[in-house]
Amino acid sequence: MARINDVGGTQGFGAIDTADDTEPFHADWEARVVGLFNTLRAQGLFNTNEFRDAIESMPPAEYLAASYYERWFTAIVALLETKGVLEPGELDD
Amino acid sequence: MTDGDRFPPGTRVRTFPHDPPHHTRLPRYARGKRGVVVEPEGPAELADVSAQGRGDAPVEQIYAVRFAARDLWGEGDHHVVLDLWESYLEEDPDRDR
Amino acid sequence: MTGEHLDATIARRVRRLETLLEEKGLITGERVDEAIDAFLASSSPANGARVVARAWTDEAYRSRLLADGTAAVRELGYMEGSYQRLRVVENTADTHNVIVCTLCSCYPLRLLGPSPSWYKSEAYRSRVVREPRSVLREFGLELPGTVDITVWDSSAESRYMVLPRRPEGTEGLTEEELAALVTRNALIGTATV
Repeated sequence: MARINDVGGTQGFGAIDTADDTEPFHADWEARVVGLFNTLRAQGLFNTNEFRDAIESMPPAEYLAASYYERWFTAIVALLETKGVLEPGELDD
Repeated sequence: MTDGDRFPPGTRVRTFPHDPPHHTRLPRYARGKRGVVVEPEGPAELADVSAQGRGDAPVEQIYAVRFAARDLWGEGDHHVVLDLWESYLEEDPDRDR
Repeated sequence: MTGEHLDATIARRVRRLETLLEEKGLITGERVDEAIDAFLASSSPANGARVVARAWTDEAYRSRLLADGTAAVRELGYMEGSYQRLRVVENTADTHNVIVCTLCSCYPLRLLGPSPSWYKSEAYRSRVVREPRSVLREFGLELPGTVDITVWDSSAESRYMVLPRRPEGTEGLTEEELAALVTRNALIGTATV
């Protein structure tokens, strides 16, 4: 079945906020997430397609509630758990 | 086949109406739809397999395929172009209709 | 939970992840800093604007750019080492192009810099493939009904950039002055120049 990321042609998302924001990041943690993503990917811990897969595998309600870089962070953590780098729940200790 | 000659520009193709239980780069709005090949875009590993972390993803040709809005949505005067891996496509069985 | 509280919570979790990965010897803070710097340094919409200005002033370059975008932008020093391909799509009197990624947020980062929030929004991604004229109207762009619109949904390894039409009355401008006219939205196709 199609996943929540696959939104082309889906009704109901409303008007577009066309504000031309030129700041690449809206908080420091967003930059750290991008830095972590690029570092871990360059080290071969996961590839871009696995990363997209992890984002798309978020439960739909969580996906829609999360900001763009929250999705990235969720996907990185999920991949690190899948690969055995992190124990499930280790981040919450 | 990775040399891009299976579907030359202008070939009428149809996307498979597939609905796989994994990552794919064929959006739902373009499944089982008719379009026309713009041109080959070059080869790449098939995302569906690569996303599973497997090292054996086949390398396939990607084609830019142009769809009429009417064929996607039943209305509209615009076109949509998607980049689609070869295994998402077959030659349109009704191309001569 | 307030937005600020939520932000503090996730900021803490990101720090915690970074610390854990450092303890495991997988990353260093410096490596992450470098990755952020590299992300920001190699990409800016000024790059795309410069490519457009060159194409407007050099007919042979324009032809090369439309035939093989990747090779043509590398002539100007962009997209070095990228595995992605660039396709430049040209607006004319009868055709208008606009770019989206309905499945995620694919974008020609090297030429346009980090993407605007709206480009990553569900509202834009869901609607522009279905009703581009309404979407463009929300950006203040009203196209005549005679203009064909093509929406490029970046679903694989190619990234797209729009070559806008050169505005009339700009014959006397230098390449640099022309580049200054080219906005990010014009390179995505949600504006003209």
